[in-house]
Amino acid sequence: MSQAPVVRLQNVTKVIGKRTIIDGVSFEVRPGEVFGFLGPNGSGKTTTIRMIVGLMGMTAGDIHIGEHSVRSDFPKAIVQVGAIVENPEMYKFLTGYQNLMHYARMNPSITKERIQEVVELVGLQGRIHDKVKKYSLGMRQRLGVAQAVMHKPKLLVLDEPTNGLDPAGIRELRDYLRRLAQDEGTAVVVSSHLLSEMELMCDRVAILQNGKIIDVRSIRGQDNDVKTLEEVSFDVDHPDAALGILEGLGNGKIVDGLLNLSSDRAGVAALNRRLVEAGINVYGIRVKTKSLEDQFLEMTGSETIG
Amino acid sequence: MANFWKLVQNENMKIYRRVRTWIMLGIIVGLPILISLGVVAASGSDSVSSWEMMLNESMISFILITIFTVVVASETVAGEFTWGTIKLLLIRPWSRSAILLSKYLSTLLFALLFAVVTFIVTMLINMAVFGSMDQSEILSRFFGLSAIEYMLQYYLLQFLGLVIIVTFGFMMSSAFRSSGLAIGISISLLFMGSIITGLFSMTDKAWVEYILFMHLDLTTYIGNKEGPFINHPMSLGFSLAVLAGYFILFNLISWTVFRKRDIAA
Repeated sequence: MSQAPVVRLQNVTKVIGKRTIIDGVSFEVRPGEVFGFLGPNGSGKTTTIRMIVGLMGMTAGDIHIGEHSVRSDFPKAIVQVGAIVENPEMYKFLTGYQNLMHYARMNPSITKERIQEVVELVGLQGRIHDKVKKYSLGMRQRLGVAQAVMHKPKLLVLDEPTNGLDPAGIRELRDYLRRLAQDEGTAVVVSSHLLSEMELMCDRVAILQNGKIIDVRSIRGQDNDVKTLEEVSFDVDHPDAALGILEGLGNGKIVDGLLNLSSDRAGVAALNRRLVEAGINVYGIRVKTKSLEDQFLEMTGSETIG
Repeated sequence: MANFWKLVQNENMKIYRRVRTWIMLGIIVGLPILISLGVVAASGSDSVSSWEMMLNESMISFILITIFTVVVASETVAGEFTWGTIKLLLIRPWSRSAILLSKYLSTLLFALLFAVVTFIVTMLINMAVFGSMDQSEILSRFFGLSAIEYMLQYYLLQFLGLVIIVTFGFMMSSAFRSSGLAIGISISLLFMGSIITGLFSMTDKAWVEYILFMHLDLTTYIGNKEGPFINHPMSLGFSLAVLAGYFILFNLISWTVFRKRDIAA
C-alpha cells in the first residue's frame, strides 16, 4: 500500500457566515480503496463531497486529486473524477443516449465505442434511445453510473448513491463498485447514512460529526481479537437460578426472560458448562456482535443532530 | 481549450431538442404570413407597398423574438439549477466561465437565427403577396435610404437592443437561479421601458441620458441624427457607448456570481 493517494484532503475547512460547516477535515484515499463517509444528517458529508468535486469552494485547506489541486487547477483535477451527487438528475427532454453524448462531448477522451460499452455495462441498451422522462428511478440511477464511469475516472465520488434504490439495485451497485475498485484500481468515496450498507461496501469508514472526523476505522481485515467482550444472551429454563449460579461473572442481568451478560469467546463455553453441570437446561446461546451501527451511535450519541 | 464549440453544441442541443423551441419558430414563421394574407383579404394587394408591410411585420416579430430569447436566456442557467443538472454539468474539465460563455453564445445564436428567419420570411411572403420588391423604392418613411438599406440598418439596430435585454435576462437568470423571476423582470423591463422613457425625457436633467431605457430603441436614429427626444439630443455613438457600459456591467455581474457560487441546491 505504498501507492500515491488518489485524493488527498488537507485541513479542509468551510465557513458559511459564522458557522463552521466543515472543520479541518483531512484524509487520503488510495487506488482500489472504497472509502465511506458516515455521519448523521447535517454532519457535513454532502458539503465535503461537493468540495471534492468543486461544486462548493473551501474557506481554508486544499484538496488534491492526483497531483492537481481542485482549487487552483480545477480542469486537470476534475478530469480524473466521476461523480453522482445525490440523485442523478438528467435532462428529461433528451434521450438517455443524448444525455451521455452531452457529457461525452465535454471530455475529449470519450469515443462513441466507449459510450456503447458503458451503456451495455449498465444494462440500458434496450432503452437508451428513450426519453429520460420515461425512465424509472432505477434506470436513471444506471444512467447516472454510466455518465460517472464513462471517462474511466481514477476517483469515483458518490453521494448517497443508494437513495431510492430497491434492494436488488443496491446490491448491484455495491457489487459493481467493489469490482471497479478491485479490477480497475478505482478509488471510491461514498457517503451514506445507511450504516449496514457502508459496512458491506467500504474498506474504511470515516465518521463525521459536526463537520469533524471523529474516527476513521477499517472494516475489512480487522483482527478478530478473541479477548473482546461481547454481549451474550442465554436462553435457559430458570433464569433466576442461572443468575445465582453465575453470580459475580460478567454482570449478569435478566432481560425478557433471557440471561444477558458480557463475556469473551472462551468465557461463553465455560459459562455454558457451569450452567449444564448445575442442571440448568440451556436452549440457546446468542452472541451479539457489535455492529457498526452500535459503534456509530455510541460515538455520535443520539441527541446531536446538526 | 480542446474544443470549446462542443460546449456550444451541447447548449444548442438543449435548446433545439425541446418542443417549445419549435413552437416559437412556428409562431415566428406563421405570424407574418397570416398578417400579410389578412391584409390582402381585407383590402386587396394594391393597398400597401411590400416594404411597408415587411417593416411592420418585422417590428411585431422583433418583440416576439426578444421575448423568446429572454425565455431561452433565463432558462439556460436557471433551468440547470431547477433540474439539478448543474451538479453534473460543472464537474467536467471546463472552467465555469467557459460553460457560462457557451450558454451565452448559444442564446445569442438563437436570437440571430430567429432574426434571420424573420428577415427571410417577411421578405418572401410580401414579395409573393404584394408583388416584387423594387430595390430602389424610396418611401418618405425611409429617410432617403433605399428600402433594403433601411431594412438592414433596422434589423442591426433592433438586434443590438435585443442583445442588451437578453444580457439583462441572462444576468437575472444567473443571479437568482429562477427562470420565472428572470423572465418576468426582463419582459416587464421591455414593456415598461417606453413608458419610463417618456417620463424621464420630460425632465431636463443631464443624468437622464445615462438611463438604460433611453437607448433601447436605436432604430429612431435612422434618418434622425439626434434621436427621438427633443430636449435631450443625443447621437447614435453616445447611445452605443451607454449601452456598451450596461453590457459590460450586466456580464460582469453574471460572470462573477456564476463563478463564485456554491452549488448547494
